[in-house]
Amino acid sequence: MRIRTLSLLSPALALLLGLACGGGSHSAPPPAAPAPNPAQGLTYTNPTGTGWRLVKDPSSTTTKIVLNLVGPAGLKTRGVGFNLQAPAGVTFAAFSDGLPIHDTGVYQLQTLGSTDPSEPLAITGGVKKGNLLSVGIYQKDRDQPAQDSGVALCQIALQFDAAAGLKAGTALALSIPKAKAIPEDIGAITDDLWTLDKKMRMTDLSIAVGTLTAN
Amino acid sequence: MHGTLPRPLTALVFALALGAGLSAAQPVPVSARAYHVAQQPRRVTLAQGQLMSLRPSLGISDREAFVPVHAFTNAEGEAVVRLDHTFDGHRVVGSQAIAKVPLGGTIQTLTHHLQSNLRLAGEPTLSAEKATAIALRHLDPKGVMKDAPRVERVVFPSQFLGGVATIVDPETGRTVVDRKLTVLPKLAEPFVWAYEVKTRLQNEQDGLKQLTYYIDGRSGKILRVNDAIERQAVTPATGTGKGYYNGAVSIPTSLMLDGTYAMYDPTRGTLPNPNLQWFTPDESGWSATGLQAWYEQNDAEGNNTWMSYLFQGNTENSWGDGLPFTAYGSEGGANGQTSGVDAMYAMTATWDFYKNVLGLDGVDGKGTTIYAQVGMTGSWYRNNAAWDSWAMGLFLGTGTPGGYGSFTEFDVVAHEMTHGVTSTTAKFVNAAGYEEAGLNEATSDFFAQMAKAYASAEPGTTVPETGTDWRIGFKVGNGTPVRWMDKPSKDQRSADSWYDGLNYLDGHFSAGVLNRALYFLAHGASSTPGADDYSPYLPHGMKGIGNDKAARIWFKTVTERLYSGGVGQVTFLDAREQAIQVALQLYGESAGGYGMDSETSHAVENAFAAVNVGRAYGEGPRTQVRFADWRDHDWISRNHSSDIGYEHKQFLPIGETVRPRITVLNNPNTAVTWTLGGPSLYNGGSANKGGVINADGSWTTPFNLGWYAITATSQADPRQFAEGRCFLVNLDTDGDNEQDAVDLGCIAFSWYLTNGLNPAHSMFNAPWVDDSDVATFVDAMKATWWVK
Repeated sequence: MRIRTLSLLSPALALLLGLACGGGSHSAPPPAAPAPNPAQGLTYTNPTGTGWRLVKDPSSTTTKIVLNLVGPAGLKTRGVGFNLQAPAGVTFAAFSDGLPIHDTGVYQLQTLGSTDPSEPLAITGGVKKGNLLSVGIYQKDRDQPAQDSGVALCQIALQFDAAAGLKAGTALALSIPKAKAIPEDIGAITDDLWTLDKKMRMTDLSIAVGTLTAN
Repeated sequence: MHGTLPRPLTALVFALALGAGLSAAQPVPVSARAYHVAQQPRRVTLAQGQLMSLRPSLGISDREAFVPVHAFTNAEGEAVVRLDHTFDGHRVVGSQAIAKVPLGGTIQTLTHHLQSNLRLAGEPTLSAEKATAIALRHLDPKGVMKDAPRVERVVFPSQFLGGVATIVDPETGRTVVDRKLTVLPKLAEPFVWAYEVKTRLQNEQDGLKQLTYYIDGRSGKILRVNDAIERQAVTPATGTGKGYYNGAVSIPTSLMLDGTYAMYDPTRGTLPNPNLQWFTPDESGWSATGLQAWYEQNDAEGNNTWMSYLFQGNTENSWGDGLPFTAYGSEGGANGQTSGVDAMYAMTATWDFYKNVLGLDGVDGKGTTIYAQVGMTGSWYRNNAAWDSWAMGLFLGTGTPGGYGSFTEFDVVAHEMTHGVTSTTAKFVNAAGYEEAGLNEATSDFFAQMAKAYASAEPGTTVPETGTDWRIGFKVGNGTPVRWMDKPSKDQRSADSWYDGLNYLDGHFSAGVLNRALYFLAHGASSTPGADDYSPYLPHGMKGIGNDKAARIWFKTVTERLYSGGVGQVTFLDAREQAIQVALQLYGESAGGYGMDSETSHAVENAFAAVNVGRAYGEGPRTQVRFADWRDHDWISRNHSSDIGYEHKQFLPIGETVRPRITVLNNPNTAVTWTLGGPSLYNGGSANKGGVINADGSWTTPFNLGWYAITATSQADPRQFAEGRCFLVNLDTDGDNEQDAVDLGCIAFSWYLTNGLNPAHSMFNAPWVDDSDVATFVDAMKATWWVK
């Protein structure tokens, strides 16, 4: 019983005990370099700047990083969508409605004046082959005003995957190969077709992502 | 020739697939029947009063009422009354009650097609004129309209909203969305005020069309589009006819006031024909009341001249030459008369069959005159036959020399006449996409056989066991029937049994299921595998109950217990359940006959079970394979709950690996085997087949947009399978060759624009985008890339 207890001492404690007994003339073998600890969760450092960016939400935990999409303050938009590529060791969590994107209530997803709770909403998301998250949230009713982008427009969530066997300190590269927004001016419903055709476009975005590390 | 009657005749409704009916145990004696008929108006009032008193228990308010719209006295002397449901005096679409009023006793009411809890506020803001204008703008007639549109303010249940309609592109052969008939509106309320606008076109530019529109009484949106397509006495006489199909026969004629004869029978029909009454009676004594045969005048090349005439001016009362029709340009001559003889003979016998056996006065039970027009050409009629419920007439093609014969064979004529029975009672929808289209066509086929049996023996009040051949159009097809009833799949197109997805077939081919069930019911089924009358769904076979019983059971089922109202709500299973009830009513074992189990009702169960509709008598639940509906979205569920256009259909992206949803019931082994395509591809349905089934059962979809058929077969019971339709949509609305959630943005900024937008922004390549596109996109994403 005693022996078994000793065998569970950590390598660091064992080394300490050895030193306390030291001073002898015989030489001890050099200590082996400590193996990296297995990661227990994720850490995320926000990107700098005031443009489009993914910012960590305070509700995040060690194993689940909730990210808010925030745009430039003062820029009005009618919706945004993007694809986020993540490496192995990170999965995308679904929110309570099963979608991997969460509406923060900034964009008006229902028709102006709608009282129909089951009205189809232009919000969707999924995870495609290769661990590519694809999400979109849009205002479909152009009678709804465009919204200021400088707040949390929507949320996604990164989930630590313990089964991947990541070591602590591993850097996990995130990238956003595609992002687009609907601008404020997409033409009025009364505009002529030529005007509408020119204005009905999505604009490309560059969304900054922070640093993700397994720890 | 005098008394020629130029006519612009009418449109088509039921294309060829040809049928007749019967009623209760035995008809009442003639004297008693006269009494019952005389009592009919009073019984109609009683039926109305009974239903009005039932309103609270039916969930119907004081603002609602029941208005009798059709009544007849059946063979047992009961008044069968159909009553429209109204709200503030306006008809509720698809909502009707049926009441049967016997002499004394309890009034029976059928209310399973009634809409309840009807809530509707305010008034329509749209005028009837505006609604008509909207319908006409959609109709876009190129020629002159045959009639002014008929408009009626109605209450429209949102469950009957239209849906996606498809059509085969004649150039590419691919199934595409039929923009003309596709309706994808949005309704927030379960009931709305609407206008029903009926239109009728018949001209060279537009062809034949009868489209009925339902227009939202406030928004003006199109809610649904349905494609339907007397006087002086003369002396009754009997002519001598030489028919091609019927040989030498006697036909009813008239000695007209000018001393010549006409194919005009004033003894059958007591109300004028609604189409013929346009014409002014002339000095010949002709009127629009009385069974009659007309012919289409063609030129020598067989081109329609748009003129038609009554067969008349015959001084000998001797008609036809008994030869196949060839006399284009001389349709009124002896060779042309041959078709008239065949048609008149069959019409007369079928009329008598309904009246003498089933107690039905004319096809509508009211004695309304019908007529046949032979010699029809033009692309709509030459190789076909049709019943036109607007004109109450049969339109029978000439056939093609060397191909089909004249479409005046007995069972073809009786089939079309039976459409007159169903179109005034059950009002089945006759379009692919609805199971009841098969019920419609099979009912016509079956009663065509029964009428043929009736004509094969001395006239009586029962259906003999002789005279049937269980084939339709055998002689028209020069020895190859248009349809077989004992084993319908012999035509390589029709279905022998029910499966989930049968509704994708054209009604003439899904009819095979009921045709075979009624054949088994009357004739029996074999227990010898491989025999034409063997069914693997009833391997021990069954004994038939005979023509007479089968005919009475089915007639009563159709005319007294089923109601579609043109909204496609009747299924084969509904028909089975009602037929069992009729069998219990007519041939039960108790003194009153009603409600008791009997060999006859067991036979009905077994006949339907033999075509995989329900279980056999004493059998446990059957394994069922069901293709899951595209109804995950609440809004879609509510707005398209009864829309067959969405049933058993799933929306998936093109060019991706997906897993369609399937359900296996009543068996612990839920494994299925997937195959591309489905029975409807070979049976007259329209869908595509493509992609690859992978080893793990997933499906890599092809890159083409459109409907694709895919079939799942139970591994535990390979007799059970389901064919589903997947509408493959291209989610790449922004054209970057990737289907992802970003593409939803293009739908959002195109939402509710109806003109000039990029068609790629619509999931249906339609010129508008609405919530159906949003829901479709979201569902396709969810079905494919759902986060587990």
